[in-house]
Amino acid sequence: MSSRRVVLESKDLVAGYLPGVDILTGCNFKLYQGELVGIIGPNGAGKSTLVKSMFGLVEVRSGVVQLLNEEITNLAAHELVRKGVGYVPQTENVFPSLTIAENLQMGAYQLKPNEVQERMKNITDLFPKLGQRLKQRAGLLSGGERQMLAMGRALMMEPSVLLLDEPSAGLSPALQVDVFENVTAINKTGVSIVMVEQNATRCLKISDRGYVLDQGKNAYDGTGEGLLHDPNVIKLYLGTMAESR
Amino acid sequence: MVSGLKVGLLVALASIGLSLIFGVTGLVNFAHSEMVAFGAVIALLLESTVGLNGALFPLAVVLAVLAGGGLGFGLERGIFGPLRRRKMTNISLMVVSIGLAFLMRYLILIYHGAEPETFESFRIQSGVSLGPIELPAKDYFIIGIAFTTLLMVGLLLQRTKLGTSMRAVSDNPALAESSGIDVNRTIMWVWILGSALASLGGTMIGLTQVVEWQMGEKILLLIFAAVTLGGLGTAFGAMVGGLAIGFASETSTFWLDNDLKFLIALAVMIVILLVRPRGILGVRERLG
Ligand SMILES: Nc1ncnc2c1ncn2[C@@H]1O[C@H](COP(=O)(O)OP(=O)(O)OP(=O)(O)O)[C@@H](O)[C@H]1O
Ligand SMILES: [Mg+2]
Repeated sequence: MSSRRVVLESKDLVAGYLPGVDILTGCNFKLYQGELVGIIGPNGAGKSTLVKSMFGLVEVRSGVVQLLNEEITNLAAHELVRKGVGYVPQTENVFPSLTIAENLQMGAYQLKPNEVQERMKNITDLFPKLGQRLKQRAGLLSGGERQMLAMGRALMMEPSVLLLDEPSAGLSPALQVDVFENVTAINKTGVSIVMVEQNATRCLKISDRGYVLDQGKNAYDGTGEGLLHDPNVIKLYLGTMAESR
Repeated sequence: MVSGLKVGLLVALASIGLSLIFGVTGLVNFAHSEMVAFGAVIALLLESTVGLNGALFPLAVVLAVLAGGGLGFGLERGIFGPLRRRKMTNISLMVVSIGLAFLMRYLILIYHGAEPETFESFRIQSGVSLGPIELPAKDYFIIGIAFTTLLMVGLLLQRTKLGTSMRAVSDNPALAESSGIDVNRTIMWVWILGSALASLGGTMIGLTQVVEWQMGEKILLLIFAAVTLGGLGTAFGAMVGGLAIGFASETSTFWLDNDLKFLIALAVMIVILLVRPRGILGVRERLG
């Protein structure tokens, strides 16, 4: 694994929203080519903030974010989309007043119309449910359908790196299984993926590696399997042993 | 009735920019009505001092609209863009816009003077009848232009990539940015478009009434009523609201004193908002 290229990396990241309040207090993170990396940790640990600050949505106060060999610290998100990074936010991840088709089109804003048509077909092949309702407003979709649309929107640019913030949040167990299957399938096509998850056990099971975030820092990292069986991680973040099985 | 339609179309034209700008930035721009007055004053200036009158008058209108677009560009580039990027709250930005409105109003007073003036072109016209209605020729011109422009704005918003991105930014700027839309660029286009439309509306209003330094102040309430009535942030809402307000205020003069027409517009707004708090076209998003 370590012989592979690092595609996304953050070093000693300090970032926050309000002046004088740092949420990330020196976060280190690496994503290798083709990997699926899980980020877990308690509520408020700064998982979403880490992903957002690597994607240019939260101001980085010190530290460096690198995409391949290029420094991208504080670059605007739309520039990162052009460079092949896709992002699905944890909440409010569709445009409610736009139709499903328009939501997908906005995902490929930087492409030419004929390319957009082609990509749209690929996405509706992947998510046939969306294809049947292209003219419907996204605000009327159910939680699971929104998650599908948000993922589809991010895939429209065919990113090489995909950042997913709790893609299974709020979904029924059956739909959660679908989401994890989709994520694994997308990863198999060569997309490097960072996935923040509330469902830590399941996330680590499908991840190559994982990071445990606590209070704005990475507390533990290791292979998915390794973290699943690490007594400290189990005690602090995975709940009882019974649950993690 | 036709005069109600005309005023309605013009209020709609003048209001869209206010609604669009609110939609993409959250700014309640009290200077918007001065942007309307700006258009009328520029057109008047071009007509009287540059001599774009008679057959050349349409050129004055076009230039006034372009100047309006330029004004929108300047305000976003010079004032509102930088302030927004410094994370100024919307309330503070609104106060800035009130200050700007006063500044513009008094600049207009200084350069245009206190005397109301009318456009020379189209001043006296005999009626032209079309079926049962008889109107001055300029009214056909005004109604035609306003209607076509509204239609084109509708098509722009619904059918083009730029228009869809404007709606996307209205829905959720952070998500728009994350999707790959250059949000600041989209907001700039909204300012240019909204301000150009305000200028066009102002010129047309000036053509039907008079051009004076207080015209912004007078139309302020009407466009705010129109935008609130239609549903804040939706351009189509502003169109529907503008038509309703213009229509209500004009037709009420049949049985009420002319001075009361603003009151009628406001009464209509309040009654409709009591029934539909989000405005006529404001929609409730499904939660969860
Ligand atoms: N827009 C914001 N403005 C100010 N503070 C914020 C903002 N968003 C998040 N925070 C704060 O940053 C901290 C970390 O939040 P973050 O969303 O990154 O946590 P998280 O690990 O993703 O939690 P969760 O599991 O609940 O999603 C929290 O204390 C939160 O209150
Ligand atoms: Mg989060």
